[in-house]
Amino acid sequence: MTVASTSARTGHELVRVDGLVKSFGSTRAVRGASFGIEAGEIHALCGHNGAGKSTVVKMLSGQEDPDGGEISIGGEVVDLRSRQAAQRAGVALVDQELSVVPSLSVAENLMLGDARTGWLNRARRSRRRFRALLDSVGLTHVALDRPLSSLGIGERQLVEIARALGQDARLLILDEPTATLSDVESEYVYASVRKVAATGCAILFVSHRLGEVLALCDRVTVMRDGAVVATAAADGLTVDSLIEQMLGEAPSRLDRTRAGRSGDVVLSVTGLSVPGRVHDFSISLRAGQVYAVAGQLGSGASDVLRALAGLVPAATGVVEVDGRRVRTGRPTVASAAGIAFVSNDRKTEGLFLDKPIGWNLLATRLPTLTRLGVVSRARWSRSVAELLGVCAIEPHRARDAVGSLSGGNQQKVFVGRCLHRDDVRVLLLDDPTRGVDVGGRAAIHDLLRSAATDGLAVLFSSTELEELLDLADVVVTMHKGDVVRTHVGDTAGSVLLREITHGGHDPHDPRDPHDRGVGAPAKELLS
Amino acid sequence: MTSHPLGRPAVLLPLTAFGVTLVAFVLVPTYSDATIGSFDVYNTLQIFARLGPLALALGLTMIAGEFDLSVVGTYALGGMLTVQLGQEHVAHGVLAAVGAGAAIGLAQGCLIAGLRLPSMPVTLATYIALLGLTSALSGGLTKTYANVDVILWVDQTVLTWFSPRSLITLALFALAALVLAATRWGRELRAIGGDRRASRVAGVAVGPLLVGTFVASGVIAGLGGSLLSLSLGSANPDPGVQPLILAAAAALLGGVSLAGGRGSAVGLLGGILAVALLAEIATVTALPAYVTQLFYAGLLGIIVVVDAPDLHSALVRLRADLGPGNARVPAHPARNPHV
Repeated sequence: MTVASTSARTGHELVRVDGLVKSFGSTRAVRGASFGIEAGEIHALCGHNGAGKSTVVKMLSGQEDPDGGEISIGGEVVDLRSRQAAQRAGVALVDQELSVVPSLSVAENLMLGDARTGWLNRARRSRRRFRALLDSVGLTHVALDRPLSSLGIGERQLVEIARALGQDARLLILDEPTATLSDVESEYVYASVRKVAATGCAILFVSHRLGEVLALCDRVTVMRDGAVVATAAADGLTVDSLIEQMLGEAPSRLDRTRAGRSGDVVLSVTGLSVPGRVHDFSISLRAGQVYAVAGQLGSGASDVLRALAGLVPAATGVVEVDGRRVRTGRPTVASAAGIAFVSNDRKTEGLFLDKPIGWNLLATRLPTLTRLGVVSRARWSRSVAELLGVCAIEPHRARDAVGSLSGGNQQKVFVGRCLHRDDVRVLLLDDPTRGVDVGGRAAIHDLLRSAATDGLAVLFSSTELEELLDLADVVVTMHKGDVVRTHVGDTAGSVLLREITHGGHDPHDPRDPHDRGVGAPAKELLS
Repeated sequence: MTSHPLGRPAVLLPLTAFGVTLVAFVLVPTYSDATIGSFDVYNTLQIFARLGPLALALGLTMIAGEFDLSVVGTYALGGMLTVQLGQEHVAHGVLAAVGAGAAIGLAQGCLIAGLRLPSMPVTLATYIALLGLTSALSGGLTKTYANVDVILWVDQTVLTWFSPRSLITLALFALAALVLAATRWGRELRAIGGDRRASRVAGVAVGPLLVGTFVASGVIAGLGGSLLSLSLGSANPDPGVQPLILAAAAALLGGVSLAGGRGSAVGLLGGILAVALLAEIATVTALPAYVTQLFYAGLLGIIVVVDAPDLHSALVRLRADLGPGNARVPAHPARNPHV
C-alpha cells in the first residue's frame, strides 16, 4: 500500500456528533455515540461487525432518524430526516451497498439525486466536470454515455465514488468504499479522497481494512457494542492496538500452520476458457488443501470460480470431479457433481435474508433431511444445532431472520451452509471475506481450514495479500485472464503483488526474468 | 467500449415494430384487393388517439417499475364524467375527468409509496372499484352525449391525416418525451424503476416521484377516456379488457421493460403506432377477429421472450453446447500449471 497521509486538518471542528442513540426494537444499536470531525480531516470509524458504525452512518446520511442526540455541521444543529435533507446540509455518501443504477448511463448516474442539477437536464454542460471526476478515480477508459450495466462491479463502485466526490459536500461519508476494489483502484480512491480533504471537506471513512485506515486517516474513532470507546490519532495506533480496541481484548493470531494433508486429486480443470475473460486456465485440486486464485478485478480470478460453479454459460474446457467429467455452464450439474459455491454477493446470490438462520443453513441439503419426501423434524433440529455450532452462532437465534445478523455472521452462515455435507467435494469461494471485519474474517478462515481438514478441496479468490499469505497452501496468480504463476508454500507478498498488478513483468526491468510465458514458472516449481 | 444506441432494446424494439408494421401497411395493396388512401392513415391515427393515452399512462408507471391496471377504470370513469357533466359546457366534463384521474392517481400513489405496497393488487382493486363506480353513475347503461358540435369538432379532419383528438394525443406524447428526456424527473423515473434502493440512497425523492407518476397516469387516462367519449358521442361503463391488453402490448413493443427502468415516450409512440397500424391492416384486409387476437398473442409472446433477462445466457449456453468448444482440450497443455 502506498498510501501516505498528508494531513489537511485545520483544527476547526466542522462536524459534531453528540450522544447519538438509536434502537431497533429491543436492540440498542447505538448508545450515546459522540465524536467530532475537523475540516480537512480524514476520520476513520472502525468497529467489529455489529458495533454500530453502519447505524451511525445511516443517521449522518439521513437514512435513519436518531432516537436521541444531535448532529451539528458548521456549528449548527441539523435535522437530517431524509437523504435530501442530508444533501441540503452538505452530506455526500458512498454507501456500503452499491448504489448506482445499472439501467442508466454513467453520466446519468453521476447526476443522480444531485439537487444542484436543477429540474432541466443539463448533462451537456457538465460533461467536462464529469470527465474530470471519472479520470480522478481512474476511469479514464469509461465513456460518459456508456450504460452502467456494461461495467464491472469495481468500476460501478468507482462511478459511485466519483458521484460523491463531485457533490462539493461539507461532509463526505465513505462506507467501505474499497471493499470491491483492487489495490490499484483503491490508490485512485485514496488520492481523490485526499484531494477532497484538502478543500476543507470533513471525511468520515469506514473500512475493515485496518492497514488502509491507518495509512490514510488522521484520526480513528473506534466503536464497540454501540458505543464509542476511543478517538485517537492514527499515528499512534498499530493494527494490533486497533484490533484490541475493537474487540476489547488482545487479538488472537490465526493458526497459520499449514496442517492440511494433501490427498487425492478431487477437481481437475484443463483449458478452462471464458471468452474475453479467462484464457486456458488449468489446475488440479487435491483434497485437504486450500488453494487461492489471486488477481485484481478483471483478472479472471472471479470468472474462474463462477465458471467452475457452472454459472458462466459460455465457459469451455474440461472439468472433472473425482475423474468424472462435469459439463460446464450448468450450475445444477456442477452442484450435483459435488461443487459448492459461495458467491461474493451473499445478498443477491446467497442468502434468503428474510428467512430464519436455521432455514438458510439447511436450504441446500433438504434431501438429506427428508424421508419419503417429508422433512424429518428431528434431523432438521439436529442439523441446525450442529451447523450453528460450526458457525459459532448462539443456538437461540436459529429462528431469527438471517438479515438481522451482522455482515460477518451472515457470511459465516453462507459458508456454513456448504460444510458438513457428504455430497460436497470441492468448495469454491469468491472473495469470501469481502466487507467482513477482522473477527469475522478469522472465523471464516477457520471454517475454510477445517473444511480442508475434513477432506474438501478448497479454492477461493481474493485480492488481499494478507489473506492469501495467511490462508492458502497454493496461490495461483492471474492477470488479464492469464495464469501468471503458481506458488506452493511460502511466498513473498511483494512477488504476489507484482504478479497481480503487472502480470509478473517488472515494469522497470527490460530483462525481466518472469517474461517466460504463462505457466512455465509453475512447472518449475512443481518439478 | 460504448454500446450503439440502435442496439439497445429501448430503441431497437419500437424501431423494428414500427418499421415492420409500416412496411406491411404500405404493402397491403400488393397482397390483398384492398387499397390504401389518406383515410386509412387518418383512421390509423384515430386508433392511435383511442389507445395512445392508455399506453402512455401505463408505460409511465411501467418505467417506474410499477404496473397501473386501473388505467382502464379511470378511462371509463373519465368518459362517463365527461358525458354526464359536460353536456352544456364541455370543459366542465373534461376537467371533471382529468380531476378524477388526478385524485385516483394521488390516492393510489400515496398508498403504494407510503405503505410500500405492490402496485398490482392496489391498482387491480381500484380498477374493479372504478368499473363499479362508473356503472353506478350510469345505472349500468351507455350514456349518450348530445353536444353534436363538440362531437364533430374532435374528429374533424386537420391537415388531411389528423384530427384535434389525434393532435391532442400527439401533444401528450411530445410533452412526455420532453419531460422524460430533458428533465431530472425523467432521469429519476428511470432510476427508481431500475433500482429503487440505490435511487433512494443517491438522494432521489422516491415517494413523491412515485405519487407524481401515478397522478400523471391518472390524468392521462382520464383525459383519454374523455376524448374517446366525445368522439363516440357516448360513454360505455365497461370498455372491457382489450384496451388494457393493447396498451400493454404497445408499451412492450415500445421498448418499455417489464422489470422497469427502461423506456421512453418516443419508444412508446413507436409501439402504439405499430399497434394502430396492425389494427388498421386487420380492418382493411378484413381479417377475422380471431386471427388478430392470435397475432397479438404471438406478438406479446415474442416480445416477452426477447425481453427475457436469461435469453442471452441461454443462447450462449446453446452455442457452447452445440459448438466443439465444450469438449475442447487446450492447444498447449504444457503451458498449464497442474498442481
